[in-house]
Amino acid sequence: MALPNPAAAKVPTGYKYGWHDPEMKSLHVMKKGLSREVVEEISRIKGEPQWMTDLRLKAYRHFEARPMPTWGGDMSQIDFQDIFYYVTATDKAVSSWDDVPDYIRRTYDRLGIPEAEKKYLAGVGGQYDSEVVYHNIRADLEKLGVIFLGTDEGLAKYPEIFKEYFGTVIPANDNKLAALNTAVWSGGSFIYVPKGVHVELPLQAYFRINTENMGQFERTLIIADEGSSVHYVEGCTAPAYTTASLHSAVVEIIVKKGARVRYTTIQNWSHNVYNLVTKRAVAYEDAVMEWVDGNLGSRLTMKYPSIYLLGERAHGEVLSIAFAGSDQHQDAGGKVIHAAPNTTSLITSKSISQGTGRTSYRGLIKVYPGCHGSKSTVRCDALILSDEARSDTYPYMEIDEDDVTIGHEATVSKVGSEQLFYLMSRGMNEAEASAMIVNGFIEPIVKELPMEYAVEMNRLIQLQMEGAVG
Amino acid sequence: MPVQAAAALDAATLDHVSRGEPAWLVALRADWWRRVEANPWPTPAQEEWKRTSLDDLPRDGGLLLDPPMATYDLDPALAARGVIFSDLATAVREHGELVRAHLGRNDTIAAQMPFWGRSLAGWTGGSFLYVPAGVAVDGPLVARTSLPAGAYTYLPHSLVVLEQDASATLLEEISSPDGHAVWFGGTADVQVGYGARLRYANLQRLGDGVWRIGAQRVEVGQDANVTTLNAEIGSGISKVGMDLRMTGKGGTSRLLGLLAAGNAQRIDFNSCQDLLGSHTTSDLLYLSALYDASHASFYGVTRVRPEAKQTSSYQECRNLLLSPKAGAEPIPVLEIETNDILRCGHGATAGHIDPIQRFYAQSRGLSAEAAERMIVRGFFERVVAQIDSEPIKARILDALAPRIGQTDEMAA
Amino acid sequence: MTTGFAAGVRASQVAPGTVVTVVVAGRSLCVGQTLDGRWGAIEDVCTHDGGDLGDGELDGDAVECPRHGGRFDLFTGRVLALPPVVPVKAYPVHLDGDEIVVDLS
Repeated sequence: MALPNPAAAKVPTGYKYGWHDPEMKSLHVMKKGLSREVVEEISRIKGEPQWMTDLRLKAYRHFEARPMPTWGGDMSQIDFQDIFYYVTATDKAVSSWDDVPDYIRRTYDRLGIPEAEKKYLAGVGGQYDSEVVYHNIRADLEKLGVIFLGTDEGLAKYPEIFKEYFGTVIPANDNKLAALNTAVWSGGSFIYVPKGVHVELPLQAYFRINTENMGQFERTLIIADEGSSVHYVEGCTAPAYTTASLHSAVVEIIVKKGARVRYTTIQNWSHNVYNLVTKRAVAYEDAVMEWVDGNLGSRLTMKYPSIYLLGERAHGEVLSIAFAGSDQHQDAGGKVIHAAPNTTSLITSKSISQGTGRTSYRGLIKVYPGCHGSKSTVRCDALILSDEARSDTYPYMEIDEDDVTIGHEATVSKVGSEQLFYLMSRGMNEAEASAMIVNGFIEPIVKELPMEYAVEMNRLIQLQMEGAVG
Repeated sequence: MPVQAAAALDAATLDHVSRGEPAWLVALRADWWRRVEANPWPTPAQEEWKRTSLDDLPRDGGLLLDPPMATYDLDPALAARGVIFSDLATAVREHGELVRAHLGRNDTIAAQMPFWGRSLAGWTGGSFLYVPAGVAVDGPLVARTSLPAGAYTYLPHSLVVLEQDASATLLEEISSPDGHAVWFGGTADVQVGYGARLRYANLQRLGDGVWRIGAQRVEVGQDANVTTLNAEIGSGISKVGMDLRMTGKGGTSRLLGLLAAGNAQRIDFNSCQDLLGSHTTSDLLYLSALYDASHASFYGVTRVRPEAKQTSSYQECRNLLLSPKAGAEPIPVLEIETNDILRCGHGATAGHIDPIQRFYAQSRGLSAEAAERMIVRGFFERVVAQIDSEPIKARILDALAPRIGQTDEMAA
Repeated sequence: MTTGFAAGVRASQVAPGTVVTVVVAGRSLCVGQTLDGRWGAIEDVCTHDGGDLGDGELDGDAVECPRHGGRFDLFTGRVLALPPVVPVKAYPVHLDGDEIVVDLS
């Protein structure tokens, strides 16, 4: 008999996306908890090659041996044995919307996927309970040789590429959560863009957690070959549950010489989800890597998108927004490692805390010796909207090369009373005025989002401000 | 030959040090020693100790029992008004009750406690400055100590107390010869009362074998105004912890630092600016010029408590890297627990001299070395300009001269 | 060859598919043999955190650092997996009977 979870009382009833489908059936539902047998079973069900099974088992060994991190947020309530590690709703990926089972389509209908499908999408790998069930690659992309599959299918069809890159950016033993993901990963996206190919429209994926105590362990691998470019967007919502959910994804990205990748995430998990993600990219000569990271939901997010600049003139950017309402903790930021000369980086972080929420910026700029001519600028601004909210900034810098220019600036402030007064004197109420000011605060990052996300972001801020004021 | 105890610090040494001291002081030392023994030695698990390893700290040098005394010059008129400026041991003898009321009464941040405690248990030198209410001391008070050659442990404690509306300027300067392994664990406990004003400068020119493990605790009372300056020029390894508390409403503090390091020096500062009172201001500016294979790390925390409204704080750490092997790790941290703030921010930079600046200076006929010295002097100006006392400013610039040249070089 | 130094450990003491730390002529090296019997040696330092590699695992040709999973090629010292980015020096190894000889030139 599970103990009552204090998170239950705190899941906001006004949560817009807070529902789950009562008719939903989960097939292949395994028992809760993690063990060697569960890891072997996952690999067996997927029919994986032996080397992947061995890698999963090795990762499980590392997961067991490593202690939990002692910094960051409060992870004391996570019970790894109280989670289902693999659930699938259908047995194979389908390639047309009409083939998707009815109750899943209903879920996606409510999320608005058909509208999105109309114009802007090149293809969608929709994830439902860890399995890629819907996926559609447009003909022109196929012709260009772009591969966009669910990770399971990618492994089956392109094992050589997997063997070459999988686990080279984030090895199994990098940290405890990466070890867990490497052991039980399921789903996620696999993208390969051939040399010189530019994918004009953003590739997108949606996924959601939809089983009591479901952990999400998707694994994404993106390889942009020389001179190519691609933009990948993930946005997700999850229904409200009364027991803790764990989302522990791993994203590895390889940006080869002269290529360009942007990875955009808007995360709006319900407030009982632990979102502990490891995201890392390597950028070679003249390559560009951009992380656009929006953290709005979850009970605790710990996520520090990283870029290793391994070739000359590589450039990395992290644009991060974090919003923490009551009882939320967003512990986010970015890391850039300069490991070649004349590399540049920019980290811009905007965080907002309200109610009893807490935002923490945690980042690292590291410059190895010999990386002359490197430049980096980090700019963190925090807005604290209420008296009980809290904001922290922990910017680390390890600079071991003299011929560089590295700078970091941060400010913490509140909404100015004069600003508020001015807007209210124009006829807005306090909630509207605050929302406008907050939207202005995050505008430099929001303008980098695809339009439908920008709209959703502004709407979400509005919702948060209404909850906060009056 | 300096007179040393057999060991750096243990029960027997403490016994020796306490001989002839008043009972209250013997008890105080014993009490702090008990706490030292109960407190674990720092570990790299603590954030403040991640960047400096204490493995090679010279712990075998016996405690220095007869440290050289600085000259404590004080205008007799001020002495008549109750100002006390002497070494701490003399103050214990001549103003026991006053010292007893203020000595060893404060804890400091957890990371510094092992060294704070050792100094309070085993101090054999250090200064005492007491300024009674309403007394203004014009002109700087200077305590200059030259330590002898030898391998020893020296843990002086300085106690500075300014009563309501008092004001004073104090410079403590310490030097020692190169080539000797010394553990120098100087600490300072500074208490500035309501409306008082203090300028406190520390000039460190210790020898290259010295491990300087210091702790400074400063408490700023209501409407008080305090500026501290640490000029770090010597030592082999320098690890200093600063604990600054704005406990009263409306106080102002500035923490200034000038670091000029070369060879294989390692300098590691951690600071905590704790804003507990409303309408307080606390700014920190630490500037480092790093030559050869030197390395400077800085871990500074600005903490604004929920009850501290309308505060203003800025933390700045800027590092000029002057050679390929020099390195810097500035980590300014903010922990803000209220939104009712006037101003709050921090900034950190690390990098080389702007090539355009360097080109400009050299195109005026300066040699490469002279151009660099001039630019570093210009870099330090933001702190130097904030040193109110001309004599102290001159002393600091003189100490920096080997790095940045003499001021008359610029005039040419 | 005067550049070859004997490692303190005997070849028969190092199982195939493992590495050990040895000190050769004052240098700390990570030495081992692959499952198919090829011997290699690299500097015993992970360039990510400065710790030892010798207590890590050997996976094919890759020495895996025990602390964060970084990998180095046992024969070339090249980085095969992050988080390290700087390669390590590699040294040729041959066997002289049961003695492991490392060429430090």
